[in-house]
Amino acid sequence: MADVQVESVSRSFGAHKALDDVSIAFPDGGFYALLGPSGSGKTTLLRLIAGFDFPDSGRIIIGREGVERVPVEKRRIGMVFQNYALFPNMSVADNVAFGLSVRGESKASIAREVRQALDLVQLGKLGERRPHQLSGGQRQRVALARAIVTKPRVLLLDEPLSALDKALRVDMQVELKRIQREIGITTIFVTHDQEEALTMSDRIGILRDGRLVEEGPPEDIYNSPKSEFSATFLGDANILRGDATGDGIRLSDGTAIVASGGVANATGGKASCAVRPERIKIATATASPLAAEGNMLRGRVSKRIFAGNSSTYFVDRMGEVIKVHVQNSGATKIEEGNDVVLHWSPESTVLISAA
Amino acid sequence: MMSATRILEGLGRFYIGLLLAFLYLPIVIMGLMSFNASPFYQLPFEWTTKWYEDLSRNTQLLAATWNSLEIAVITTVISTLLGTAASLALFRYEFRGKKFLQALLFPPIAIPWLITGTAMLIFFFGIGIGRGLHAILLGHVALALPYVIVVVSARLQTFAPELEEAARSLGANQWQVTMRVTLPWIMPGVIAGALFAFAVSFDQFVVSYFLSTPGQATLPVEIYAAIRKGFTPEINAVSTIIIAVSMGLMLITARFFRFGGEK
Amino acid sequence: MAGNIAAGPLSGIRPALPLLAPAYLWLTLAIFLPLSAMAFFSFMTDLPLSGKDWSFTIRNYAAFFSSGLYVTLLWSSLRLGLEVTLWCALIGFPAAYVLAKVLKGRSREAIFLLVILPFWSNGLVRIFSWAMVLREGGILDVVLNAILPFKISVDLMYSYPAVIIGLVHSYVPYMVLTCYLTLQAIDDSLIEAARSLGASRLQVLRRLIIPLAMPGLIAGAVLIFVPVVGSFMEPRILGGRTGTFYGTVIEDQFVAVFNWPLGAALSFILLAVVLVILAAASPVLRRAT
Repeated sequence: MADVQVESVSRSFGAHKALDDVSIAFPDGGFYALLGPSGSGKTTLLRLIAGFDFPDSGRIIIGREGVERVPVEKRRIGMVFQNYALFPNMSVADNVAFGLSVRGESKASIAREVRQALDLVQLGKLGERRPHQLSGGQRQRVALARAIVTKPRVLLLDEPLSALDKALRVDMQVELKRIQREIGITTIFVTHDQEEALTMSDRIGILRDGRLVEEGPPEDIYNSPKSEFSATFLGDANILRGDATGDGIRLSDGTAIVASGGVANATGGKASCAVRPERIKIATATASPLAAEGNMLRGRVSKRIFAGNSSTYFVDRMGEVIKVHVQNSGATKIEEGNDVVLHWSPESTVLISAA
Repeated sequence: MMSATRILEGLGRFYIGLLLAFLYLPIVIMGLMSFNASPFYQLPFEWTTKWYEDLSRNTQLLAATWNSLEIAVITTVISTLLGTAASLALFRYEFRGKKFLQALLFPPIAIPWLITGTAMLIFFFGIGIGRGLHAILLGHVALALPYVIVVVSARLQTFAPELEEAARSLGANQWQVTMRVTLPWIMPGVIAGALFAFAVSFDQFVVSYFLSTPGQATLPVEIYAAIRKGFTPEINAVSTIIIAVSMGLMLITARFFRFGGEK
Repeated sequence: MAGNIAAGPLSGIRPALPLLAPAYLWLTLAIFLPLSAMAFFSFMTDLPLSGKDWSFTIRNYAAFFSSGLYVTLLWSSLRLGLEVTLWCALIGFPAAYVLAKVLKGRSREAIFLLVILPFWSNGLVRIFSWAMVLREGGILDVVLNAILPFKISVDLMYSYPAVIIGLVHSYVPYMVLTCYLTLQAIDDSLIEAARSLGASRLQVLRRLIIPLAMPGLIAGAVLIFVPVVGSFMEPRILGGRTGTFYGTVIEDQFVAVFNWPLGAALSFILLAVVLVILAAASPVLRRAT
């Protein structure tokens, strides 16, 4: 296994800068998610690390070896493709054996390693099947077995779960994580699905327009995003804008919002705060006021969407909409049109330097 | 290392260039020679349009050209009509033996024309149809039909049957559905099929050859006879015209029907 | 008849008949009956309509097997077919590969069209055009003598190589077309997957691309082999006296010797060979379409 360093990598396609001076350290044995909207450069970065494409400038280091000019077949990487890319002319076992067999390993050792790999992904009995006879989840496992059987230095996953339906996807997330832990391989995972990134990875890097905007452990980024983009892209967030007050902001109507998380800022400028919808408590304005939790706003429920275990209230406050998630734990629901009070603690408020 | 892809692409372009040279050089040279003054194709090149002038006075070749065009046009009309109707039936209805009917389209395409042509000769002669332009027409339509059906059916594959259902639900009868919904959609396929049919007929030599009689021949048959008597620059001239016409026709077809170029 | 279209494709052949009958009757009259008639006729001693006496015989088939000539000619036609097919595969497959997998962008479609365009122009005329190139004093001769320091006389006209060149020229676009279609259907991610597993370009070609393109190769091979075995015009024009093949002998029976029953028997034997080849290749061909 090995860690992977990407240092000041840039890549342009014509006039379009797909990657602009990106540096990331992918820790040895870690599970790193590259998250971003389409066109953010995450797939380009993965293809550069894989060796399908080469950077215009910058370095890519796997272990201690600079590989930015090494073609893919010499990089000793494993990759799982979005559509699995199983060879249709080969059986499952031959698919898994392919990487070993092009290296010229002996038949006996290939058979043994293929068996181990298929057992690891719990497909031990399906070696003779053809790819088209497998379900989506099974194909996914074959693709994974094929990628790891050659003992690559790094495992690259290109949106590997996006073709699966939701229930299967959750199963595969758990499964993928288990296998990754078991073999302890450095894994880089490209996804546009923030939930997937949050649940699976040790670290997340958020890319936007070819630049790395933020990176860190999922909880850190979720709890204290450093930009409006990260706050809204990773999870849901209400963004409040106003004048900076040092420890928070003052909204246009004079209401002060206090934040204890995030960067402190100088007074006088513009700043914004991010508040997660599930951190906000909602109560009808006529109900007896709850113990103040620091930040409080008034508004009117303009819409309520029921989603099974939770509901989302859209609260209108002077033309702005604030979203609130509430667990449906049996409490009385608030009807649309009612005046409400919203409140949340400074700890749930992240101050973001003005975008 | 990085330039391996680049080198491969360069080599690939060079190779395609060689192939195109192989494919087009003889044709280009023939075209040039048709403007060369020497009747024995001697170089150096000396510009003349003499051979085209001779050609314009060659009544036999002109008559054959007229025959070819006439047969090609009639073949196109008949085979497009019959072929489109058959494609619609094969697309719209489910019945036993449909696979068999579809499979029957391949023998006319796959069996060498030598066999088809001699078989037609024997049969037409045997039942009294005999040889001549009418026999050639009979044969050409049969050769062109499978092409039309295959091309139109391919276009029909892209047609959603729900459109017909939607039209029916709006009160259109079968005839209105066909004329106002289905046909407009498959029109590019029908036009491509018609052009294919024209090309099949206009270029057809083998079958025409066996079904022709002196005086009742198409252009390729006359050209073949002339070549076997000995090359003359007039043949170059008429060949150059044929190539120009058929390639031009195919370029037009390509505009309507993009073979293999999708995606 | 009307009214149940909403139930999906209609069942029963009756409503389809008026649309199908004209086309299939025509095909029956001009293709299937003639082929059957030829089989029948090949067992006759003479033309039934010529007023002469005729009777059933297997003499025509006996002639094929007893005289070594026809067997030899069929064999040389089969060899010609194999050689032309092989050359077409060797030349056409790489071209199809370059078109499908190396060239990108808009130029690809235009070049593809250019490659298959000659195929739709007159075959006879294209064969004839080689006469300008291959004959003594032709372009090849003149150009080679202009380049080479020594004097050589290039006269490939009326030779076996001339026939091969002409036929390859005629049929190579078929191979490019069929291979291109199968190669284009191969997902690029399959190739990338193979390379990410450590396979070199050559290994990818041998173990992935060629097996996956096999239906196209076989389809192209059949579509070339079959007509080449039955070719007669090309050997006549470019082969001259050396261009005697099975096809030219059949032609002779019909237009020169007027031994139609023998010609029919020879044609029918060729048809049998062709049908065997088509049947053998049909599982692969079906997968290719």
